[in-house]
Amino acid sequence: MDPSQLLKGVLDLAVLAVLRDADGYGYDVLRRLRAAGLEDVADASVYGTLRRLFAGGALTSYVQPSEEGPHRKYYGLNQTGLDLLAESTKTWNHFSDTMSGLLRKEAA
Amino acid sequence: MNSTVTGAVATYLAQIRAELNDLPPGELEDVLDDVSGHLTEVAAEFDGEPTAAALQERLGTPREYADELRSAAGYPPRTHSMDHASAQASAGQALRWGVIAGTVGPFFLVVGIFSWSRDASAFFGLIGLAVLFGAAYLGVRALRGNDPRTVLDTPRGVAAANSIRELIQQLPPHLRQELVAIGQPVWWVARGVVGGGGFFALFGAGAVTVVGALAGAAVSIWIGRRTQQDRRWLWYLVPLNVVAAVAVPAGLAASFILGSNGPFLFSNGDDSRGRSSGYNYQNGLTLDGEQITNIYPFDEQGRQVKVLLYTQSGAALRLDLQDCATLYPGTESHSGVSNFFPLPEVQHDPNGTTDAENCKDSTKAPFTPRLAPTTTPTPTPSTPSPKPSSGVTLTVSPTR
Repeated sequence: MDPSQLLKGVLDLAVLAVLRDADGYGYDVLRRLRAAGLEDVADASVYGTLRRLFAGGALTSYVQPSEEGPHRKYYGLNQTGLDLLAESTKTWNHFSDTMSGLLRKEAA
Repeated sequence: MNSTVTGAVATYLAQIRAELNDLPPGELEDVLDDVSGHLTEVAAEFDGEPTAAALQERLGTPREYADELRSAAGYPPRTHSMDHASAQASAGQALRWGVIAGTVGPFFLVVGIFSWSRDASAFFGLIGLAVLFGAAYLGVRALRGNDPRTVLDTPRGVAAANSIRELIQQLPPHLRQELVAIGQPVWWVARGVVGGGGFFALFGAGAVTVVGALAGAAVSIWIGRRTQQDRRWLWYLVPLNVVAAVAVPAGLAASFILGSNGPFLFSNGDDSRGRSSGYNYQNGLTLDGEQITNIYPFDEQGRQVKVLLYTQSGAALRLDLQDCATLYPGTESHSGVSNFFPLPEVQHDPNGTTDAENCKDSTKAPFTPRLAPTTTPTPTPSTPSPKPSSGVTLTVSPTR
């Protein structure tokens, strides 16, 4: 099974999750996803996801000057984002449990 | 942010922009801000600047990148509608008007600045200004409210942008950054000072010129900052920059050569208004390039006479005095110039001990003229008069 196909459905959740602890700019979010083990995530899709979550009102955005060069646009969760994260987490856990149970039954 | 990416990264970014140019302008700028940041970070992963091939290896083609971004962001699929075609057409038109404003207008303006007479200056200057602002206005109107960067999506715009980028890439990276960081504000001030100062210098007074130069610098900085926010100003600014690019070095060179005569091309005296020949401009009377300091009139019999000289317009033909009263200014008022020839000159003491007490003036010619044989000059109409190729040139400053 192609992990990148699976990733498409849960990228929103993954992005919300890495922004829960600290705000981040695009490349930073990308790095955190990779560090968490999602190595197949495509660069452009992360940026697209950030834009969509921002347009949907789940994220705030602000610009901060960077010491190394150009300014960086940071994204962070607002209340809508936190709610969305909680709800999506519930959905994911339910789905994951269901799938795991199904697979266990099949294996048994 | 977009302005800091260079080379293959800039090209890659421009291609993504072209792929996404059907998005609303605000969203397009926002997402490209992110993408430009991404590309900067990715470029930093390489040693030195990445090549186009290396970027594609890492990120996929610009189209793949744009498509992935589009689907993840939930943007509508790419539309190649009539809208897009007409936007391209209007962008092409805007580019054409911009090129006219940027070449034809400055050409006439520069011809006007360096014209031989005031009338010609005014004539060509007006034509230049009319073409410059007319074409720039039509260019902005041709955009029809579209983002000015759509010009870069037209085939010619892409070619022009790429060739400019290649030129810029010839510069070492640190010099490039310094040019933007230091060179830009210096340029804004310089073009404002020369533009504003030069304009008011046409009307004479030095104080007005200084105020004009300061005002010009302020306006120039304001316009510069304004243009960074609204790129439509480029249609006016680029042509004016072309004019300034010619006038600023010329103005600096002229002020360098003229030295104390003033910082601007046109400020070295009333008679030089609107003229660019300030380089070899001199006050006074010259014969074949040699400065004339005195005139010794003789009558037909070879006797020295005293005369008052006037020009054809009745102005007194005055020269600087080199007499005792000028050398040792006493109590009597003394204008320092005279049109009563020969002028008295200080008679130098052979011992070299001339001072205010024993200074003597002389009007005696230091030579005896070789008089031509006393043939009465009967002008014959058939023979042409001697060629006026060499002769007296007079440039008198009446204020002195």
